[in-house]
Amino acid sequence: MDAPSFLTAQFIASVVVILIVVHMLLGAAGMSIYFERKISAYIQDRIGPNRVGFDFGQPWLSFLKGMWGLGQFLADGLKMLLKEEYSPKGADRALFNLAPMVVVIPALIGFAVIPWGGVLSLPETITLPLIGWTIPGGDVLIAGANVNVGIIYILAVASLGVYGIVLAGWASNNKYAFLGSLRASAQMISYEIPLGLSLLTALLMVGSLMPEEMIRHQSSEAWLILSQPLAAIIVFICFLAEANRTPFDNAECEQELVAGFHTEYSSMRFGLFPLSEYAHVAAGSAIFTLLFLGGYHLPLGLIGAGEGHLLSPENTSIPAMLAKFHVFIFKTLAIIFLVILVRWTIPRLRFDQVMQSAWNTVIPLAIVIVVVTAVMIHLGYRSTGAMLLANAGITVFALGLLPILPRRGGANNRKVRLAGSRFSPLEGETVRTSPVSAFAREDRPVESTLPVHSG
Amino acid sequence: MPTAPITLAATDLSSYLPILILVGMAVTFGVFNVVASNLLGPSRTGKVKEKTYESGMDTIGSAHKRFNVRFYIIAMVFLVFDIEIIFLYPWAVTFPNIDQSTPDALLWLGRILFFVFTTVVAYVYGVRKGVFRFD
Repeated sequence: MDAPSFLTAQFIASVVVILIVVHMLLGAAGMSIYFERKISAYIQDRIGPNRVGFDFGQPWLSFLKGMWGLGQFLADGLKMLLKEEYSPKGADRALFNLAPMVVVIPALIGFAVIPWGGVLSLPETITLPLIGWTIPGGDVLIAGANVNVGIIYILAVASLGVYGIVLAGWASNNKYAFLGSLRASAQMISYEIPLGLSLLTALLMVGSLMPEEMIRHQSSEAWLILSQPLAAIIVFICFLAEANRTPFDNAECEQELVAGFHTEYSSMRFGLFPLSEYAHVAAGSAIFTLLFLGGYHLPLGLIGAGEGHLLSPENTSIPAMLAKFHVFIFKTLAIIFLVILVRWTIPRLRFDQVMQSAWNTVIPLAIVIVVVTAVMIHLGYRSTGAMLLANAGITVFALGLLPILPRRGGANNRKVRLAGSRFSPLEGETVRTSPVSAFAREDRPVESTLPVHSG
Repeated sequence: MPTAPITLAATDLSSYLPILILVGMAVTFGVFNVVASNLLGPSRTGKVKEKTYESGMDTIGSAHKRFNVRFYIIAMVFLVFDIEIIFLYPWAVTFPNIDQSTPDALLWLGRILFFVFTTVVAYVYGVRKGVFRFD
């Protein structure tokens, strides 16, 4: 009996990579929750989770007690499975149940085209042990799928994430959840445009949609973060916005919207939302590494490694594949660490500021970068130095343009009055305030007419 | 050290088969978690418990009502830009690979720049109309 036609060495390699990386991604999502809590604790001068080990309360496992709280995410996940799954009366039950699944699917399939280990050379034909089928071998790509439109796949999956959030907000029949999902969808579609334009810039430099080709281009010339730093910054910002991470987490900002679109969720249906957020962060970090940080490539030539060293695309042996895999994962972890640091150092933007910065700043900038890159490629200046100079020129130009641009004086950051309240009284209304503390009473007149703002 | 000429970019449909498997795994993961917590967890209800959460107050009305039209306008403008970007992708892949000294290359660049220019006109129109004012 012959092997089925789809069964090639590439297929087997892809399935093995998927089986490994899906579990790594879920583990990374769980572990980054732990590391987020730990890093935030150190930033805020606390200790963070430090009790839950892997002893499961068993005396014979007591040597696994403690473990710096590493078992915390496992305990949280198990706890969520055992919690009550509850949906409020007014909720649309079918959509309410569907939404967490719709959220988690795009988060888990986004990484499929990332070439973790580059290319691996196998013999031309391989005979499978035990079964005895002979399958075609040759060069296989150590990725979830060897497709030639990888970048478009990434973009398509990234835009699927908004559906689950809108469904969750709508089905909850809760005003906070509804507002949160509206904000999230508006923000995510707004930041998808600069994301697409910046990927376009990277594509113009490389001239191919294949992820492996992008790494080859970066290893033969320079990492794209050196030739297109502005596009790299924009892509990083857009990934933060797409994953609803701080400083763009208006969808779930606690002060205004309780918990945003997952206010009504409980048990593991709730657990899937943070899980998919962290899976988004992990996948987005891997994609950023692929696009701008050279993927698995390290410039080992600088420290004297010869042609075809362990991390060059030409080296297709098994040790090279393993080394590339680890370098790729390490770079991805570094970006995840950066994302966590950003969350705990930068305050959240207000919603109108988020939208303003998308439509009035990032999108025009991205269009200018694309046009300048295209013109420079036409004129023949496609070296790294020339592109870096062009980026510096764009930055200086944009900063110089800043004072000239029309400003809407006072309209921004204007105080929204609540007519008739203590702070915005009606025309001529006398306001009685009685501060509780003695200091405040000395400080402020107890009875007066506050100045009334018109406009 | 093998430096083989590498044949990448499978174009046949069977190269998408692993993605199908991955989607199946993701669906299984989502369904399993929702069903498992439904089966494992307790289930109790009550008159107050089944209210929608509104900061502890009694729920007023439904959330399925009209909302700010600005979100709709943003969605419309997004469609304009997103379709423009999708049309630019095939150009961005082929343009760097063609010989830039031929007059065709200049023509191609000019056409795309005009295409981008039309979108910029739409953007300026939106700015003048106040589409991008969020307050």
